[in-house]
Amino acid sequence: MHIIIVGLGKLGITMTKQLVAEGHNITVVDLNNDTLSTIVDTYDVMGVWGNGTTCETLEAAGVSKAKLIIAATASDEVNILCCLVANRMGVENTIARVRNPDYATQTQFMRNELGLSMIVNPEFETANEISRIIRFPSAANLDSFSRGKIEIASIRIHSDNMFCDMPLYEIRKKCKAKVLVCAVQRDDEVFIPSGDFVIRCDDIISITGTRSELSTFMKQTGVFKQKIKKVMIIGGGRIGYYLAKLLSDTGRTIKLIEQNDSRCYSLTDTLPDVTVIHGDGTDQDILEEQGLEYQDALVALTGIDEENIIVSMYAESKGINKVITKVNRHSYSILNDIGLDTVVSPQIVAGNLVTRYVRALHNSAGNSQIQTLHKLVNGKVEAVEFVVPEDAGYLDIPFKDLQLLPNLLIGCIHRNGKIIFPGGNDVLKANDSIIVVTAGRILEDIHDIFV
Amino acid sequence: MNYAMIFNNIGKILLVEAALLVFPSIGAVIYGENTLLSFALTIAALAVTGLLCVRKKAKNKNIYAKEGYAIVALSWIFMSLFGALPFYFSGHIPSFVDAFFETVSGFTTTGSTILTEIESLPKSLLFWRSFTHWIGGMGILVFVIAVMPKTESSSMHVMRAEVPGPTVGKLVSKLRASARILYGIYCVLTLVQIVLLFAGGMPLFDSIVTSFATAGTGGFAILNNSIEGYNSLYAEMVIAVFMLIFGVNFNLYYMILIKQGKQALKSEELRWYIGIVAGSVIIIALSLINTKHNVGESFRYSFFQVASIISTTGFSTTNFDTWPVIAKLILTFLMFIGACAGSTGGGIKVSRLMILVKSALRDIRKAINPRSVETVKLDRRSVDEPVVKSTSVFFATFMLITALSIMVVAIDGRDLVTTSTAVVACMGNIGPGLGAVGPYGNFADFSTLSKIVLSFDMLAGRLELIPMLMIFSPYAWSRKYS
Repeated sequence: MHIIIVGLGKLGITMTKQLVAEGHNITVVDLNNDTLSTIVDTYDVMGVWGNGTTCETLEAAGVSKAKLIIAATASDEVNILCCLVANRMGVENTIARVRNPDYATQTQFMRNELGLSMIVNPEFETANEISRIIRFPSAANLDSFSRGKIEIASIRIHSDNMFCDMPLYEIRKKCKAKVLVCAVQRDDEVFIPSGDFVIRCDDIISITGTRSELSTFMKQTGVFKQKIKKVMIIGGGRIGYYLAKLLSDTGRTIKLIEQNDSRCYSLTDTLPDVTVIHGDGTDQDILEEQGLEYQDALVALTGIDEENIIVSMYAESKGINKVITKVNRHSYSILNDIGLDTVVSPQIVAGNLVTRYVRALHNSAGNSQIQTLHKLVNGKVEAVEFVVPEDAGYLDIPFKDLQLLPNLLIGCIHRNGKIIFPGGNDVLKANDSIIVVTAGRILEDIHDIFV
Repeated sequence: MNYAMIFNNIGKILLVEAALLVFPSIGAVIYGENTLLSFALTIAALAVTGLLCVRKKAKNKNIYAKEGYAIVALSWIFMSLFGALPFYFSGHIPSFVDAFFETVSGFTTTGSTILTEIESLPKSLLFWRSFTHWIGGMGILVFVIAVMPKTESSSMHVMRAEVPGPTVGKLVSKLRASARILYGIYCVLTLVQIVLLFAGGMPLFDSIVTSFATAGTGGFAILNNSIEGYNSLYAEMVIAVFMLIFGVNFNLYYMILIKQGKQALKSEELRWYIGIVAGSVIIIALSLINTKHNVGESFRYSFFQVASIISTTGFSTTNFDTWPVIAKLILTFLMFIGACAGSTGGGIKVSRLMILVKSALRDIRKAINPRSVETVKLDRRSVDEPVVKSTSVFFATFMLITALSIMVVAIDGRDLVTTSTAVVACMGNIGPGLGAVGPYGNFADFSTLSKIVLSFDMLAGRLELIPMLMIFSPYAWSRKYS
């Protein structure tokens, strides 16, 4: 599929990387020649220099062949205009990054009246993800399926864990909760485990199940963390604003530390239930003064990765229950090694959303059954949720008679509100939601999981 | 340096070469020649070495610019070393250095030969000799990118090192698709030429090998007298026109394919190319009318020879060594200029000449009015200043290597014209020069040292200097500097 990406900021580059990996024909448009040539050298894409809102540039980028345009320049207005122009020139699908909170309330209007297919707000989506993690603090990361009915949580197995050095079938016998281990990360390797796989200490495992079953599992393994009531947020940027709003709406006590004076005032106006502190949130004295040790969670959201990491390490050393770090340069994998388990980055969150949309669009059937797509373990593992179509040929056939691809696992089946962990005798029925976990493979359609 | 990846890629190239050697082997079977054993031995040697190289898996799969250059330069050297084996094993070229020179001359599409008697060679060897032109013309690494299932994302570095021209772009967003389009155009044009030549009464074998040599802008003929031996005006004109066609940037053919022909005709490089050809043809023809031939013959010889030299092919229809000095001088200049960027031809390239001329004019204007802001423009677009700079450096380096090579070759004690045009003809991948290496002469009498230097020049000219120079630089290989 031919895709045009306008704007090579952090988001643009992340999406270029992800979509090239999916095998699409990509043309990138940017006004900076240096960035452009670096990207063309690194990824298999074509570069066009120019202003992406002009017909001439879009023409040069092959607008007539393009099926999708993604506008991710620094300016919301340019992105919207770019999508409008491309749409009039015949591009069916348009995705714009719009992140100004002023526009956040009118996404519906922009989709319907301006004809944008999708509006991505990386900061809002990131805040959403962080708030989900805060609501379930035991997991290092949490992704939800079936509108939150099923979740995938990843946790680190420490050496004092009772499941250390135990094969999975043992764990299943001893464990009271109905959960399934669907991926294991060990150093740089990822495994989709079978029953005789042995868990070692320091593995990071991903487990699926309902929220309450996951809680039971966490309690039994001793990684359960108390409910978070008090949150300290460092940095009052866009993510900080969205997050404070989301969390204060659920009745949590929020303390937001922001360095910029006037920004503090506007935050106080828009977030009446939040305590806004004016000060440098990376300063140890201010953290002490504001009572860091009495907080249940700390979220580091400043614009500088290094500061976020330092503050997080400090909070971790002070024994804060849950520490969440935002980083833009997600390529470094050392953060896990220094004890920061929960790391989020806006580009990855937004990139996953776009990838899901593109995959659904690319699916020849036109009505792809992909509901949700999450990338786990630095993007090495994908968890995809499908809805089983009514006319599929594999309905009512027991799994032991179906041949599934290797390195692939069906996490669970969600049927009429019930969660089933499929065994050999279970079958698929129409309108089931199934969650498929796989490593190193691109799934576009539920048919792809069979040999 | 990522040695594992470099060897992996060279291994792939050697395996591809082994596969390509099957074609002349089939020829050997058809014509019942005794060269089959030499081909089989070469294929075996290539397959063993190739498999050994490919077997070692690289941990780090990233290729950066320097690995790209190293892969290209080393591949071409190894390819030529192994490609020389059939000539050597079969005993038709008893000296290995001679066989290596002949093969390098083939792959780099130069067309300089050390053979004094060509017609006595078995047909399968003649086929392999011309086939090397065809393989080298578009580039074997581009071929590998086109056929290999999934190439590494950084293959762009490899493509850039092998495709000639100051800037290398892609036709479509996927490198593999671009490489396929290029090879598609290349194959179709070659086929058309084969059909046209065959229709004009040339034997099928001759049509095929001549077309291969034209397509790669190589210039190995299978008659001792090159194209003159056919003595057919029709064949001459077909070959001349196709030599010019293969000297044009292939991107333009793609633009015609996607129905942007008008824009293709507006290309400034194409206009300069046609202008240079037309000007040279007229001046040479006029000088010939005054001295040797009638009007028709003058234009016939002049057109063919200009097309042959500017496209860096090197076919001949007459002994132009006996032409007036002005004609020979113009041909020598054309040897330096060469064909368009992105074509199969060699030389400095027309677009580089344009950048050089225009930046010289720009500097003069700037001297007159120092405050004026001026850029060098190609196709009404500003050329990036680093490209202008690297073009000047390229030109200077090209001249420097030419001068140094002339000095080394001069040790042989041949006359000035022979010595200097031999080097120029090799650097520009043309083939014949003037004097003793003229269209009726050959390179057999040079010493072993000269032949090695000339082989280096051919490779340096084909790969546009940097890759060949880089592999001799300690900075590229030493851990100390990386």
